[in-house]
Amino acid sequence: MSRRYWGAVAAVLVAEAALLAWNAWHYDWLRGYDAFANAQYADVVSREYRLPSEAESGVWHTPPLWFALAGALGRLTTALGLGHAQRPGQLLAAAAGLVTCILVFLLARALFPERRVLHVVALVLVAASPALVRASAMYHPETLAVALATGGVLVAARALRTRWTLGSAVAAGALLGLACLTRAWAVPVLVAVLVVAGLHAWDTRRWSPVAACAAGSLALLVPWLANQELAHGSALAFNRPPPSGSVLDRRPASFYLGPRSLRALEHPITPLFRNELVPHLYADWWGDWALTWDSPPPPAPAALLPSGVVSERARQAVVGVVPTVLALAGLIALGLLAGARRSPSLALLPLSAAGVATAYVAFAVRYPSPDGDTIKATYLLMALPAAAVAAAFLIDALRPRGRSWATAGVVALGALVAVQLPFLIL
Amino acid sequence: MTERRAARIGVACALVVILAQLVVASAWSLGHEDPTELALTRQCLEREKGLAVGSADDSVAASASGGALATVVEGNAVTLSVARSEAEVERLRSAYSASGDPGTRLDLHGRYVALWHREPSPTQRQVTYDCAY
Repeated sequence: MSRRYWGAVAAVLVAEAALLAWNAWHYDWLRGYDAFANAQYADVVSREYRLPSEAESGVWHTPPLWFALAGALGRLTTALGLGHAQRPGQLLAAAAGLVTCILVFLLARALFPERRVLHVVALVLVAASPALVRASAMYHPETLAVALATGGVLVAARALRTRWTLGSAVAAGALLGLACLTRAWAVPVLVAVLVVAGLHAWDTRRWSPVAACAAGSLALLVPWLANQELAHGSALAFNRPPPSGSVLDRRPASFYLGPRSLRALEHPITPLFRNELVPHLYADWWGDWALTWDSPPPPAPAALLPSGVVSERARQAVVGVVPTVLALAGLIALGLLAGARRSPSLALLPLSAAGVATAYVAFAVRYPSPDGDTIKATYLLMALPAAAVAAAFLIDALRPRGRSWATAGVVALGALVAVQLPFLIL
Repeated sequence: MTERRAARIGVACALVVILAQLVVASAWSLGHEDPTELALTRQCLEREKGLAVGSADDSVAASASGGALATVVEGNAVTLSVARSEAEVERLRSAYSASGDPGTRLDLHGRYVALWHREPSPTQRQVTYDCAY
């Protein structure tokens, strides 16, 4: 069993490494989200050792860690004549995607030791997530932020299951602080960890670990927030001002209700159900709503969008139904279990996922965008580790025992991956 | 609470949430005719781009089976026709070219045929692409 277990884990990780490296190598970096603005930011921060102004990069509001790394690596490869300056940034995103997979596997092991099926299922689900695979090929900071935040959650989960030491608290805080210095979407995860650690401290009457965790993260994060407050008037500044008027009036009812949700399974591409939160996000998570992945650029004159482009994304949308239900159900189940058992480590996952989702909805309502630019699946990638482990937990908790059921489970998981491969491989 | 019980409650809650979403979507589908591409484009140009949209008054556009509309994007007037097939796109293109080559004023994008008053700038063209369904 042990040999098969480690063999399966190694096979998934090797395949994922090959997939992400291949995609990063073949993906046109300019098709990724905010690609040109990201390149300008990386250029300024790595050449002039300062943050870009609002005029110099459209993503000036994003924290600088990934840009500094990608820019420095880009300068190095350019100096050595090893290709275009953005390739190392794409490979960095791919490496972070792979590290995320490894960390999700370790997180599943930390939370549910000896549940080997659960570990492998969590690993497969995260590795085959289209949103992660797409983001790992882009010249974009999202996957690095997810990897760092998942590392912080892993350290915190292990500490909560055993014993918080000052060292583990500072390490968790530092990883989460670095994640927040990469993407602001890590802030809700940091808050979730601090809330859980605080509740744990309340029970155990040991406050020093949570204080050390908060100090470790805030020492990294506060200078960035202070700079944003001083330079742009808000610690959480975005690249456009919010519209005036009540927040409740900024989005129409269709944004919340998603009246065209059914069409997400049949024609899940732009511009259908643009700015309808649920179908727009769902179609982009399991497919590629905005057509930035493995599709021809805008149709040539008089050419219609190839039907294969739509049908491939429709297939993805159908494939995603069951894993989505499992993830949602798993998060609810873990929340119930954490409450019933007063288990802070189990509470980390549903709380961090709920925090990310809440922060994202607040952002999307605060900054409506006519072209749907503020609705992207990658914005929610920070919730993927929790969703993958939760779905795996649900499968493991409900699966009937027995050899034939185990075989059926392996076949189903294999089919989930196999059906997606034509979409996932560029 | 056992894991199995928590998992069952989780499944029930998730299904309720998803069913509620589907009920809303189904109710909307039953109560509404899906708008035509032209109606969606008109709605997009008016609501999302803030443009005034009128009816097209040229005979070629009027013959488009998907309908046509006219608007002004950044000071440049455009007539947008919606075809049903590639063959019809070609028919509209030929009809517009019959009285002289319109050059880059004529822009074909999928099933959409746009005749601009002047050569469109990239941002003007992008506005019509953003609203092409």
